[in-house]
Amino acid sequence: MRHPLSPFTYLTRNPSKVLPMGFVIVLCVFLIAAVASIANSIDLTVRTIYRYTEFFTYVIPQRSTQSVPMDQRTILEMQPEIDRIIEGGVFFVNIKTVVGRLPFVVIGSTPEERDYLLKRIRATLVKGRMPEEGKPEVVVSQPILENRNLKLGDVIAGPLDDGGIAGSPVPVKVVGVLKSDIWVAMSSRTFTDNTFLLTPKCLLFTTKVPSDLDVVNERLMPVGRKGDGFLSPEKVNVLTRANLLAEVRDSLSSMYMIMEVVSATVIFVIALMSGMLSNIYFTQRIPEFGVLAALGISRARLMMKIVWETVILTVIAWAIGSVLSVFLLTYLAANVFKQRGLFLDAMDPWAYQHTLPIPVAITIFAMVTVWVRLKRLDAVSVIERR
Amino acid sequence: MLSCNDICLDYVEATRITHALKGVSLDFSPNKLHGIMGPSGSGKSSLLYILCGLKSPTAGNVALDGTSITNMSDAACARLRSQKFGFVFQQPFLLNYLTALENILVGINPDELSASVQKAESLLSYLGLDGMGDKYPSMLSGGERQRVAVARALIGNPDIVFADEPTAALDKDNGYKVMSALADWAVDHTVIVVTHDADMLKGADVIHHLIGGCLVDDQPSNVR
Repeated sequence: MRHPLSPFTYLTRNPSKVLPMGFVIVLCVFLIAAVASIANSIDLTVRTIYRYTEFFTYVIPQRSTQSVPMDQRTILEMQPEIDRIIEGGVFFVNIKTVVGRLPFVVIGSTPEERDYLLKRIRATLVKGRMPEEGKPEVVVSQPILENRNLKLGDVIAGPLDDGGIAGSPVPVKVVGVLKSDIWVAMSSRTFTDNTFLLTPKCLLFTTKVPSDLDVVNERLMPVGRKGDGFLSPEKVNVLTRANLLAEVRDSLSSMYMIMEVVSATVIFVIALMSGMLSNIYFTQRIPEFGVLAALGISRARLMMKIVWETVILTVIAWAIGSVLSVFLLTYLAANVFKQRGLFLDAMDPWAYQHTLPIPVAITIFAMVTVWVRLKRLDAVSVIERR
Repeated sequence: MLSCNDICLDYVEATRITHALKGVSLDFSPNKLHGIMGPSGSGKSSLLYILCGLKSPTAGNVALDGTSITNMSDAACARLRSQKFGFVFQQPFLLNYLTALENILVGINPDELSASVQKAESLLSYLGLDGMGDKYPSMLSGGERQRVAVARALIGNPDIVFADEPTAALDKDNGYKVMSALADWAVDHTVIVVTHDADMLKGADVIHHLIGGCLVDDQPSNVR
């Protein structure tokens, strides 16, 4: 038999008092998890779309030149880890992201270079064919088609495209689809060279061991200390994963700060509300505690009873809120965000870490509130109330 | 033995002081049913709460077996009430979300719970509440609830049971049942009952009369 004063006895037999508070906690957990996941999804989106930077690095000439200067290329060639350096023309197609349309690079390469790069990222042609030399054709990975809601044969870039550097003077058709989670788009070198005459030629390089790429990148142009690397920032820029993430995180830092303030405010308000709810529930339970105190149950034991009731309730509600958040965010990620070019990790540990202060804050608020009330509890006044 | 010496209790309201108890001294000999009688406002309930350590007197001392309980800490006093005293109040004050059996066991130490369940069932049976252990207070009559409260007072085998107007909210029949149970307990324990109803103290061994906060006299009962 469970002890009558066991917290489980109270919690299971008083649903009308327990459920409203539990519901508030569940909603609060979902709110914080959703806000944090969505905020973090921008970072995830960038990492997903530009994941090709895990396999090769772009070296882009500065605006004053049309190609990477020879001395800079020589520096690249001297790096022992580098496997291959490929010069390619590029153009850009639009992709949908949470911050609107962004240009995504299409690499113009020879068939041999293309096969090499696709092998590197383990991409295979699953539909259509590879672009023919000189023709306005591209082969793209499946996620790009889904993002643009296109199918084989559709035009992916053309003179009517809106915005910035994306677009092409001639309509460019999708002729092949690649099976790969890594976003990549490739055209023929002759097409890019003949069509995009003013676009600078870039270099891209791979390393013999893919995991060495970060080391080489850091050596060539360290993140945050561009001038300390082997390459000259006056002559070239290096597009690396670390650089990209640093830029994104830097530009989003204010948003993250705002999110932290919002989270903290929500948690504080919910904890305060829960403290007030605890106070109301405690007021309703004063006869119970008065009689128990009169019977000889110490205030410390009464306090522990309330603490355990609160801890159990908040932990269970937090767990339910977390599970609910995973389901709802999974649904939203698949049915709402992905179609808008936003990647949402429904099980983002960072987001759920942000919900941990909720049960802690509520327990502390409830404890303080109830302790103050217990200290003042006069058992005789409860018993004599007739 | 429980005794009190020169107990005074003053209530201060604004500038007015009410002397609720004026130097009450009493010895409560063991294995007896002690009645404390008096009209409303005579200070009998206040005296009871001082005797059991729930209230502190303005002056005077309460001692249990020679040890003062008047200046005990809250925790020590709670322990004393839990281990040595049992309580029956004017209202049963049962917890609505617990069954009758659970209400009886509410003050039992968790380590002694399983050993106490059978005793609680025996008490229910003894008090005429057979088969009502799993009923919630809302399913019981007023008299049944008060008898559950009596069982709750007796479950810990207390040396002294304090009862404050235990029959005030009951009809005569139920009142006598409750008093009969307390009188039986007083055969080998001490029971102190506060009431204004002389009929209910017919079985008392000693009756103490309080009027205006003063002890008038001690009357041994010749009924029992």
